[in-house]
Amino acid sequence: MADAKPRSPLMEGHSRTLVLLATVACLLPLLLQLPRSLGIGFGLSALAIMAMSWRQPIPALLRIALGIGAFVAVAAVAPGIGRDTACAVLAAMLALKPAETFSLRDGRSLIGFALFAPFATFLLDQGPLSLVLAMTAVVLALLALQQLARDQAGVRPPSGARWWSPSTGVLRLLALGLPLALAAFWLFPRLPSPLWGLPDRVVARPGLSDTMTPGGFLDLMNDDSPAARVQFFGPTPKPEQMYWRGPVFWDFDGATWHRIPGLQRLLPAELRTGPTQWDYQIELEATDRDQLIALDVPTRVPDSARISNDFSVYAADPLNNVTRWRMQSAAPLALQAELPDILRQRALALPRGFNPRTLALGRQWRREAGTDAQGRSDLAIATRALAWISRDFAYTLGVPLAGRNEIDDFLFDRKEGYCEHFSSSYVVLMRAAGIPARVVAGYAGGYRNPIGGYWLVLHSSAHAWAEIWLPERGWVRVDPTAAVAPERVYDTLADRQPGRIGSFTGLVPMFNASDWLRRGWNDFVLGYNAQRQQHLLDPLGMANLGTRGLILLFTGIAGLALAWMGWLIARGERERNPLLRAWRRLGARYVRIGRGRSAHEPAQAWAERAGADVPKAGQALRSLSQRFSNARYADGDAGAAEDLRHLIRDIDRHRP
Amino acid sequence: MRPRQPEILPARLTRQRIYVLPTASGLFFGFVLGTMMLGALNFNNNPALLLAFLVAGAAQASLFGAHMQLSGVVVSTIAADPVPAGEPMHLRIALGAADQRVRRGLRVAHGDAFAHASFDSHGGTVELRLPTEHRGFLPVSRIELSTVQPLGLARAWGYVWPNQPLLVYPAAEAQAPPLPTPSGDAGRAQVTRAGDDIHQLRGYRAGDARRSIAWKASARRDSLLVREYEQHRSEQLTLDWQLTTGLPYEQRIRRLARWVDDAEREGRRYALALPGQPLIPMGLGGPHRHRCLRALALLPGETTRG
Repeated sequence: MADAKPRSPLMEGHSRTLVLLATVACLLPLLLQLPRSLGIGFGLSALAIMAMSWRQPIPALLRIALGIGAFVAVAAVAPGIGRDTACAVLAAMLALKPAETFSLRDGRSLIGFALFAPFATFLLDQGPLSLVLAMTAVVLALLALQQLARDQAGVRPPSGARWWSPSTGVLRLLALGLPLALAAFWLFPRLPSPLWGLPDRVVARPGLSDTMTPGGFLDLMNDDSPAARVQFFGPTPKPEQMYWRGPVFWDFDGATWHRIPGLQRLLPAELRTGPTQWDYQIELEATDRDQLIALDVPTRVPDSARISNDFSVYAADPLNNVTRWRMQSAAPLALQAELPDILRQRALALPRGFNPRTLALGRQWRREAGTDAQGRSDLAIATRALAWISRDFAYTLGVPLAGRNEIDDFLFDRKEGYCEHFSSSYVVLMRAAGIPARVVAGYAGGYRNPIGGYWLVLHSSAHAWAEIWLPERGWVRVDPTAAVAPERVYDTLADRQPGRIGSFTGLVPMFNASDWLRRGWNDFVLGYNAQRQQHLLDPLGMANLGTRGLILLFTGIAGLALAWMGWLIARGERERNPLLRAWRRLGARYVRIGRGRSAHEPAQAWAERAGADVPKAGQALRSLSQRFSNARYADGDAGAAEDLRHLIRDIDRHRP
Repeated sequence: MRPRQPEILPARLTRQRIYVLPTASGLFFGFVLGTMMLGALNFNNNPALLLAFLVAGAAQASLFGAHMQLSGVVVSTIAADPVPAGEPMHLRIALGAADQRVRRGLRVAHGDAFAHASFDSHGGTVELRLPTEHRGFLPVSRIELSTVQPLGLARAWGYVWPNQPLLVYPAAEAQAPPLPTPSGDAGRAQVTRAGDDIHQLRGYRAGDARRSIAWKASARRDSLLVREYEQHRSEQLTLDWQLTTGLPYEQRIRRLARWVDDAEREGRRYALALPGQPLIPMGLGGPHRHRCLRALALLPGETTRG
């Protein structure tokens, strides 16, 4: 079959380099999003394969072996079928493909195939780095395509060409296509809900998870990437009131805390709040989970989210993109003042055979405090525990691996840890003393960006605290970590200011500005969806466009964009010399009256001929053409710039 | 619209006669972009969607670009020097543009022959090597102008069909007997020519035609020798169709063509007498040779002659 068809011509060395460079550029953003071992491994393999196959193709057997090796590597590092493993396989195939890329056609198909890589990158990450790398990759890919097309036609670069001059052609094409692309982006009707779901990842993103194991937050607390950005409308809570509520954990098995999934489907518990309502819009980075975070106790959430019985907020779909949520929250006066027995039992349950010393201490404190229906003894026990922790405990991120009786180890031996240890030990101690208690995970504190006036919540602000149930007051927040190290909880320490390196604060304004830009990008581009598309023209007084209206609008604007594109391309390359431009404009005016200059006619001969036909303007035309010829062909002298400007002005004023 | 009949040059490619279709790689590229857009729309993945739309916009612009590369191209003239049948004919096609745009890598093809041209508003020329088989007019069919610039994703093409005849001389017979002895009509005494006759050569004098230099003999004698033509001027050679009687029809033509060339080479004046045509009178030199070979080339074919 290969013999029957004429072989596609081979790529020249320069084009081949460009094609491989574009492939590497496409691959790079994807590799950065893969697990580190796979990313580095595939990157090095791609480079090795390109070097090996430069002179002759790699034998088919070796290629197959490499392919199998790549699959095995993916399966070993991230076993399972998910979005990220699919992307890893794509990266592996792309890394292997250069082994058989020699002809023009091979080069083109490699480029087409490589374009999948930046796209796949966006399925994993939509951050600015990925975007910049992907745009670079696309420009390089188009550049390679252009070079291949020129090779095919034997076009040599003009002698005066600089190394960057080919890229002007590609950038020009991108600029020409830009209006069409933007029209399509904003107006092409979006799907209100996906036709098919996004496969999950095998390796989860950092973020709050569905369970909490003391010690598990460590990665999160070292991650300075943003988790949420919040804009308040009206009153703003004080930093020590900024508890961003995530999942609520009830069940403890001795090592790990779990939610009660059934509570998601129950209505929120009865709630009495203070007078202050905080109205805010929270913008969440993609987490791939349906868990939202909300300030303190949420009172109102959008329709596409719901509040669970324990006041966690869940979205209808997993958060695969940046999303925005307008919510209201308040500080509770009484949260679930009547605790149903079934929940009360769950909030008191402790695993059998774990942490005997803690249980003993809880029972001892209960005996000492006695019992009463108003919960005064409960409050006394809670305060006593808090006082003990505040006096004897220390905050540290350096914590050894958990043992079997982790709570005992922490409370009686180690006496240092971070929020997960404090909150879970506190809850276990309260339960041992007969006080219903639960762990709440989320974020605490925030950083106010002076540019844009919004609050930034970083992943490193991940936090866990306790809630105990008291008669009549219901669930009350107790934060034992804050009793030990409030500055660590509320991020009030100056050295935790984002963008600060040690005592050097010079980069803080740059951090502020870049985060503000990123927020704008999130807001303007990443968070754009079908719903916002419907309200696109609200400011112009055209409420609720509807799909029909959108299609009409899109067709109209796309038509305009195409016309603009056609006009710009048809216009041809712009003459650089302003005098020649003016002279051509003049010529065009004479073409309109049918006295245009023929291609072979010198300027003055034409002026004589056309001037004779147009007696009124003839003399002026002859004089202009004389001056034009002098300026063009006579030897230039000093002061010519001024004369040239006058000449251009006079030419432009001339009318036949 | 492709031209349905030959047209007068210069011919300009206008919008109506340019076709644009994606190339195979363009289709693959479109498939990749389509997949990306579908996925991005489904997941409402805005950066991916924006990227796909940007690339699609550039691809669309390249479609326009390919069209504009062709639009306005003018085929001003075509020309070719006649060659004997069997030798490639060098067809020169002069291209121009009716606008200021620069054309890069324009492919000009006729049959299997193609060449690429790059030119600006000053125009340019491409040369195609057309194979020739038969004497007579070489049928110039449609010349295809096409381009895959700027990205190789789309191919634009158009046709120009010039009504310009290109003449192919008959191939000269390879193994032919020497020129016939001149006919007696001229009434002069004939000197038989012999290849090794030194007395026919004389030393070079300034002003002698280069054509008359006997290179081989000069090399042997180490000084320039010139063929003495004085006797030849008196030879009045008539190449008559009747001299070739007995040969197959086409071979007769080839032999006469060979004799025309031989006579030219030897600088002998000759006339050509062909059936059904007035005698081409005595002459020598390029135009005369052309006239004779043209007459031979355009002799009717054997079948039409019956």
